[in-house]
Amino acid sequence: MRPSSVVLRVVTGGYLILFFIYLLMPLVFMSLVAFNSSTVPQVSPWQGFTLKWFGVLLADNQMWGSLINSFIVAFFVVIISVPIGLSASLLLTRLQFKYRDGLYAVLVSPLLLPGIIIGISTFLFWDRAFQLSGGLFTTIMAQASFISGYSMLLIMARSQRFDRIQEDAAFDLGATHWQVFYKITLPFLSPALISAAALAFMQSFDNYNTTLFAIGFEQTLPIYIGSKLRSFISPAMNALSFIFILFTLTGAVIYETLRRRELRNNSR
Amino acid sequence: MNQYPGQDIEIIDVGMMYEGSAKPAIKGINVHIKAGEFFSFLGPSGCGKTTILRLVSGFLDPTDGKILIGGKDMRGIGPNKRPTAMIFQNLALFPLMTVAENIGFGLEMRGASLAERRKKAGELLELVDLPGVENKKVNDLSGGQRQRVAIARGLAVEPSVLLLDEPLSALDLKLRQHMRTELRQINKRTGVTFIYITHDQGEALTMSDRIGVMASDGTIEQIATADHLYNNPRTAFVADFVGKNNKIKATVKTIKNGHAVVETSFGLIKGLNPQQLSSGQQAFAFVRPEVISVAGSSENSKNIITCRVKNISFEGAFVTITLDAGGEDTLFMRTHNDGSALFPAIDSEIDVSFGQHNTRLLAGRGYGHA
Repeated sequence: MRPSSVVLRVVTGGYLILFFIYLLMPLVFMSLVAFNSSTVPQVSPWQGFTLKWFGVLLADNQMWGSLINSFIVAFFVVIISVPIGLSASLLLTRLQFKYRDGLYAVLVSPLLLPGIIIGISTFLFWDRAFQLSGGLFTTIMAQASFISGYSMLLIMARSQRFDRIQEDAAFDLGATHWQVFYKITLPFLSPALISAAALAFMQSFDNYNTTLFAIGFEQTLPIYIGSKLRSFISPAMNALSFIFILFTLTGAVIYETLRRRELRNNSR
Repeated sequence: MNQYPGQDIEIIDVGMMYEGSAKPAIKGINVHIKAGEFFSFLGPSGCGKTTILRLVSGFLDPTDGKILIGGKDMRGIGPNKRPTAMIFQNLALFPLMTVAENIGFGLEMRGASLAERRKKAGELLELVDLPGVENKKVNDLSGGQRQRVAIARGLAVEPSVLLLDEPLSALDLKLRQHMRTELRQINKRTGVTFIYITHDQGEALTMSDRIGVMASDGTIEQIATADHLYNNPRTAFVADFVGKNNKIKATVKTIKNGHAVVETSFGLIKGLNPQQLSSGQQAFAFVRPEVISVAGSSENSKNIITCRVKNISFEGAFVTITLDAGGEDTLFMRTHNDGSALFPAIDSEIDVSFGQHNTRLLAGRGYGHA
């Protein structure tokens, strides 16, 4: 091996190690706190291993309530954003109409707005126009308004690669317009739809900025954690975070495994 | 095995003007295609061939005239309700489905059971000579195999008319030639009417019962069988477009009994006057390279020209000789290689002759003297 390539390997290897330390160390420390029996969140001094913070967490009814709210909000955000993203991307990739650029701008602009502004304006809109005060409904509306944009961008990337002559072929073979959509277009787009749904769920689930201003007196999990950290700091929150890290890692590993399997199948 | 009776297609005074376009894509198209016929539309790209196919399949409705299939006016009937099936240029197979699912798609849309669909797929794969690939994905097939699957998928819905949009253009030469024979056989075996569009005259001439030659302006120049088209082109465009032809600028001098004498850059020649051009008219004299030969003695009824040999190109079975006739025109002459290898030397002067009945005087749009 030439000396220059050895140097290159050492430098890139060293960089990667530093990078991952920088990325993961906070998570490691934060997780360790969940197992320290000290009542203040800290790693040192280490006062002995404990699982009691998990017990405290599980007994916390507010936590459970906000977790359920988070799921409700995320579920409806997915239900609303993915169909809007799908129809917008179909419209934008197929039709050349006068207001095409305008429609695109309308759908993408919420992504560029600060989340706080979306939250406040959604809250005010429903409050002033319909006397509907902030709650889960306004949160869903506020989140869906920008998450629809993400869904559209994801689905559009795939629908641009779609060979639309396939639709003509299906139509020519006797399919109705609905059958063409259901049997040809939708199956092709389904990977993008699944990604869009997953992304929408994640975006909704850990959204803080927009939700904080739209939700009124209700709370989702991020809002609950936020309020907890401001008032009373407890290692129970670290236990909660540890559980989330576990779920996220497991999800990522499963996703990556499935993706690789699919890649292998397709390249056959 | 005449299980799919073909139907007549009547294209009557059909014209198509796309929205926002200044001139029509096609105009004044009149063709009566007979049941079971293999009919080709041959023309340069952009002549409106694909428009005709989309009109017959129902993706478009004509702005002028009408299209009858089996005597029934098709206006307003969508592609999914017409007795036609289209083979698309890129085939448009469904990549997420297996071969059997592709072939069974049309039947599935009609509510056929899985067993029926599988049975039909098996039969059709036999027909297109590709048995046993039912469970493969279409992306695992070769180009020629995909071609056959596309044809089987089209035939599965038992169409009266199969519409083929240059489906062979993506294949390599050898496979293309093989598929020509194959398509022709499938047409005769099934009795389905085939409408084929192509810019490749080799394809059109070898496969078709009749050919409609189209010009760039979207009109039909001539409809005839392959040999008739080649031997009796009716317009200058057809003579020029179909097969290789010598094209000699000519002005009509005298006319007599379907013949005419024309003035060319290398003197007067005599030929057939099928368009009944009158004296003084500008035209072109068309002579096929293979009817020109080195002149013998006593050839009174032939045109004889003295030329200088410019180039000899040996092609194995044939030899193409490029001749300089002194004027601005170059003549090509094509002779059989009879094995004697007695070719004229380059730069030598020879007399060549061609029959008056093999010389056709033709004019037409786009064929003025520049």
